[in-house]
Amino acid sequence: MNVLVAALPAFLASAVEFVEALTIVLAVGVTRQWRSTLIGVAAAVVALAAIVGVFGSAIVLLVPISVLRLVVGGFLVIYGLQWLVKAILRAAGAKAKHDEDAIYAARVAAMREEPPVATSGMDWISFTVAFKGVLLEGMEVAFIVVTFGASAGQLGPAILGATLAGILVVAVGIAVHRPLARVPENGLKFMVGLMLTTFGTFWAGEGLGVEWPWSDATLIVLLGVFLVGSLAAVRLVQARLDGAATAHLAAVP
Amino acid sequence: MGRYLHAFGAFWYDFLVGDRPELFVGSIAILAAIWAAIQVGLEPGLAGLILAALVFSLAGWSLWRASRPAPGH
Repeated sequence: MNVLVAALPAFLASAVEFVEALTIVLAVGVTRQWRSTLIGVAAAVVALAAIVGVFGSAIVLLVPISVLRLVVGGFLVIYGLQWLVKAILRAAGAKAKHDEDAIYAARVAAMREEPPVATSGMDWISFTVAFKGVLLEGMEVAFIVVTFGASAGQLGPAILGATLAGILVVAVGIAVHRPLARVPENGLKFMVGLMLTTFGTFWAGEGLGVEWPWSDATLIVLLGVFLVGSLAAVRLVQARLDGAATAHLAAVP
Repeated sequence: MGRYLHAFGAFWYDFLVGDRPELFVGSIAILAAIWAAIQVGLEPGLAGLILAALVFSLAGWSLWRASRPAPGH
């Protein structure tokens, strides 16, 4: 079960972030120069691998498991709640959904305003934008891979889950040659937010000295309770927005 | 150097606090409160239930704040 605990959240979170990174890379590559863009991507991937390798190994080897679970659990609760609250707000219509097509169009327009591409050699604008885009989106993946991998004692499966997601997104991106606007990003973020919050609560609790009633099986109960509560929250937020809109219309003379 | 430190700090601020600071502050407060309660004798099994309930309540509070009708509505 620990293998799945580490690999599945890493896979789902990575899929979301890689879709966003792919949009940036496509926008830069199509409008400027593919060679420099891909070198920027490669440099960012190397940097991310180094971050995961160094921090992952250091955390696993040097930090006691109870401290690790408290700190990592705390981070995951904070980060997971952010994803979950945003996903609930988007599902309820209170916040605009991520639109990869619109983001792609905006990035292409921004790239066209940059100075022309050099006829030979490196295009440093392509390199820098691709490097920064992949590194920043990838940092979130690295955070999840390191925290889940270290806490579950399964850094390898977490890295594998993230790598598989990356390969899948890149393969689909190459096949369709456009941003992956049809990926249900909000649904994925909802699931990832639920998982991060659930595991964060569980691990932080263990780090604090909490005794969970059904040991590891409590994770499934927590996930179920948070899922049902979150779906109910979507309905409640929708009802609140509908109520506010109705009151506003009634107040208009 | 200062520019890089500022960018590094801004990244982590956006990463962990972002536009919902109550989730950051609330999560730390909940964990500190549970730790303190266990230290003064709260039964560890009950502490877990309270922890989960508080985390979920924090999400609810943040959602309530975020979905407030805008002024003038």
